[in-house]
Amino acid sequence: MEEILLKIKGISKHFGGVYAVNGISLDITSGKIWGLVGPNGSGKSTLFNTVLGIHQADEGNIYFKDRCITNLVPHQIFDLGLVYAFQVPRLFQTLNVLDNMLVAGREHKGDKLLFSLFFRKSWQKKEIELAEKAMEILRLLKLDHLALSPAGELSGGQSKLLELGKGLMASPTLLLLDEPAAGVNPNLGRSMFERIEDLCQTGLSFFIIEHRLELLFDFAHWVYVMDKGKIVLEGKPPEVAEDPSFYHVYLGDE
Amino acid sequence: MDPLVYILDFIVLVGIFSIFSLSLNIEFGFAGLANFGKVAFVLIGAYTYTLLSNINVPFFLCLIAGAIASAIIGFFVSLPTLKLREDYLAIVVLAFGEILKIIVKSEGWIAGGVWGTPVYPAISIAGSSTRLDMAINIALVYVCLFLSFLLLQLLTNSPYGRVIRAIREDEVAAEALGKNRAKYRAQVFALGSAIAGLGGGLFAQYLQFIDPYMFAPMLTFTIWIMVLLGGPANNWGALLGAGMVQLFDRGANIAKDYVTLPIDPGNLQYIIYGVLIILVLLYRPQGLLKESQVKTKAGESIFNGRDFAKNKGD
Repeated sequence: MEEILLKIKGISKHFGGVYAVNGISLDITSGKIWGLVGPNGSGKSTLFNTVLGIHQADEGNIYFKDRCITNLVPHQIFDLGLVYAFQVPRLFQTLNVLDNMLVAGREHKGDKLLFSLFFRKSWQKKEIELAEKAMEILRLLKLDHLALSPAGELSGGQSKLLELGKGLMASPTLLLLDEPAAGVNPNLGRSMFERIEDLCQTGLSFFIIEHRLELLFDFAHWVYVMDKGKIVLEGKPPEVAEDPSFYHVYLGDE
Repeated sequence: MDPLVYILDFIVLVGIFSIFSLSLNIEFGFAGLANFGKVAFVLIGAYTYTLLSNINVPFFLCLIAGAIASAIIGFFVSLPTLKLREDYLAIVVLAFGEILKIIVKSEGWIAGGVWGTPVYPAISIAGSSTRLDMAINIALVYVCLFLSFLLLQLLTNSPYGRVIRAIREDEVAAEALGKNRAKYRAQVFALGSAIAGLGGGLFAQYLQFIDPYMFAPMLTFTIWIMVLLGGPANNWGALLGAGMVQLFDRGANIAKDYVTLPIDPGNLQYIIYGVLIILVLLYRPQGLLKESQVKTKAGESIFNGRDFAKNKGD
């Protein structure tokens, strides 16, 4: 049964006089992979940042599972199950890869001051569970051999993978991915999307910005096309790909 | 002067300064909170201890009260700045330390104002020798140091320690992973202040006298040198730094009597501190001991299990 997870209603965000996002409305339902494409600077990442509470929206409202999340701060939005993997990986550089993953763990009693000091037994089991889950995801992303290396030593592509791994680690209901395949080698990019499809079968939903259109269009169920802060086109990937206005957006009027 | 007493005095001060540097280390080293007003929380601990011990409260209650008072005030001082960039916190607490010093200086009814006030030692045995008094102080200080160290080792090798390091590395990313940075920072700041307050109480009862001039900003910077030199985000480093800076301090004082220099070695020492900080930051920014990894049982169990499986496969 499909339910509306994320409902964006007339969201605008401007920086000075520039409307990066200009009155966007869209719905994201559960159990699907949603795509968001558009040329550089069309406002895709700004839209994600606004949804996640990193930017404050100037107009409009955002609902997640029928709850208004417009003025919530990022950690409250995370608690509701909406998780974001950044476009430029934001890793905890001096922590090792495994610790980076574990920070994303949810409902861990050891994250609390008093529990971490005086009730250490109460979270040991959870810690081991989370570590096992983290290793499973790292194996999937082919990062398991680097689990104990500092995240700052990873290559660009590996950093992207770890950023995705952190997102998966957070057991999200809806995971927002900002160009997950950029800088990742082509084969791995495809197997990453195959894995995303598998996870989607288990009920996880994805909303993905991606410039590698051949990948996204193979896997997405529905694609939104953004240009100059507005949604200009939406539809199933084959329909969008054949629409002449889609080429206008990317290639200009010529 | 009895050379043994001199050495014992050195040991006590290393212990007290180790407590101070541990308290800065949890704030700056692990959580990235640049506390340039450490001296304020030492002062709160010292004055709370003094005021309470002068009305005959038992010493351990005075020490605990000093720590709690420091924690509460630290919490409220940090509150307005926790959501801002870390340099604002540095400015606010630096100013707070100075304000506090001026208040205790000008308010005569608080522990004698500018004249200072004598402090009773925590444990005094009638007719005991200086050596015995020193030994008692060493025991008291090192018990407190051991407890603080244990507490911080537990804390930094727990999921909590991992979260505060993550917030230090990238606060936006940590926030996006559901960590309330303001809450974590306030807690760490209160905890760091509590430990500094405890150290302040010990400091006051050991010197048996306090006045506002003892709590000059230089004390803060001495503690900073200890942390930067020893290695931020490493509790052993904080101890090492405290020992080294104290050794240095003693060295300069002894050298004063033997070496003739155009300037006072006591002042030269500060110049050397400055050069030392620049050199450490340029050539070994991680300090003498580098950051320790988060050690929890979980990580170990995963890797022990995996190695085992691999060996079995071979």
